[in-house]
Amino acid sequence: MKACKKCRGLLVQAHYGELESKDKIFFENHLASCPACAAEFKAVTGTLKTMDRKARPEPGQEFWEGYWDRLSRRMEKEDAAMETSPPSAGKRLGRIFGLSPRWVFQAAAALVLVVLGVFIGRTISPPHQTPVDVAQQTAPLGPGESDPVLRARDYIDRSKPVLLALVNYDPASEDSYALDLPLQKRISQELVSRAGALKSDLKEPAQRRLRELVTDLETVLLQIANLETENDLEAVEFVKQGVENGGLLLKINLSEMSGDLSGTGREQAPVKSPSQKTKI
Amino acid sequence: MTEEKELIDRLSRGDIAAFRELVETYKKKMYYFVLDMVGDPADAEDVSQVVFLKAFRSFKTFKRDAKLGSWLYRIAYNASIDHLRRRSLAPQAVEDTILDASSGGFSDSPSSQNPAQAAENSLLQARIEKALEKVSSQERAVFLLRHYNELMLNEIAETMQISIGSVKSYLFRCIRKLQKELDIPRTPAPREVNNESL
Repeated sequence: MKACKKCRGLLVQAHYGELESKDKIFFENHLASCPACAAEFKAVTGTLKTMDRKARPEPGQEFWEGYWDRLSRRMEKEDAAMETSPPSAGKRLGRIFGLSPRWVFQAAAALVLVVLGVFIGRTISPPHQTPVDVAQQTAPLGPGESDPVLRARDYIDRSKPVLLALVNYDPASEDSYALDLPLQKRISQELVSRAGALKSDLKEPAQRRLRELVTDLETVLLQIANLETENDLEAVEFVKQGVENGGLLLKINLSEMSGDLSGTGREQAPVKSPSQKTKI
Repeated sequence: MTEEKELIDRLSRGDIAAFRELVETYKKKMYYFVLDMVGDPADAEDVSQVVFLKAFRSFKTFKRDAKLGSWLYRIAYNASIDHLRRRSLAPQAVEDTILDASSGGFSDSPSSQNPAQAAENSLLQARIEKALEKVSSQERAVFLLRHYNELMLNEIAETMQISIGSVKSYLFRCIRKLQKELDIPRTPAPREVNNESL
């Protein structure tokens, strides 16, 4: 079998008579003893013989005789066009900077590429739409502007349906449009934009868990905000797994149960349940 | 080889007579190679002229230890690929090529054949062209250079600026595809060969 593999690797070279003497001896001996490889060689030779019958239109003697004349006329014409046309920007720049035009073109091409890259980058993902940048903008404050705990509750209340929609989404049983991804993205973007201010306001020691929960939510929401809108099922599944593995919904439930979200954090110390201690 | 060196020396000095010599030596090879790449005779003349103009104008980029033929084929390959890209199409439709070719005359002229033979030949040409359209441009170029232009594998490697291993691989893959397209039966792969047959 190994010999057959080696032999078949030599078929084409053998056909064109390009085998070295050692390989040639091996090839001939193997072919004499292996009908399968001999048949393969015959098939390759047959294919190439068929290809030999490929016809090419012969343009005729006149064409060949006039070839040089036509070429030289074209060359003269192009040379004349180059002489009469004003010097290109590259040549002018080259003269100015004492560089050869080639370098000028290369530099110009690099510059054009950079500008083009920036332009394409901005066109594809405009700065105002990226969640990261959105987060840096001055985000409008939600309800209970003065109370960070109330804002956190609102934040969590709004995040929860987004996470639930994602976690409950089953691509096997529903079509991909069942998940309203554009809507979830929009909500996520808005929430991400509020996360920064909210986190900095949750500065009391008693609000540590809430701050961590908001941070965890922000991470997942950022991923959702960055999802492709069109059937990016793989990415959806990835984010879904992140939510499940991080136990985010459980954390939200625990926060609700523990009273972290009832009243203001400053007024009410969090009540820790044993499960919270182990979980968070 | 000495003649080629002399020609190279003259070309490097911008000698127009040397350039004409170069054109006369290689015009048919370049024309047919480009024709096989782009499929259309009118385009083939245009692109083959581009090859010579590029060669003349950028002769300073030619490496003295390289072969003129390989260098020209390289330019021809690039020019053909550029042309095909610009045209944004595969080589001209097979049927048209055959019609054009028959009006220009095949090497095996249909006029000398009876109608049945001519029809059979036309069909065969169509099958060959179609088969060649199924291979990638690199596979096609390697095959054309080896089969019709009789370049050795190492010369093709130099022309295409790839390794000899890659040349062998492209060539083998191309022949396999042609075999499939031309519907020529082939034996099973080695792993399917039983021990008794060895």
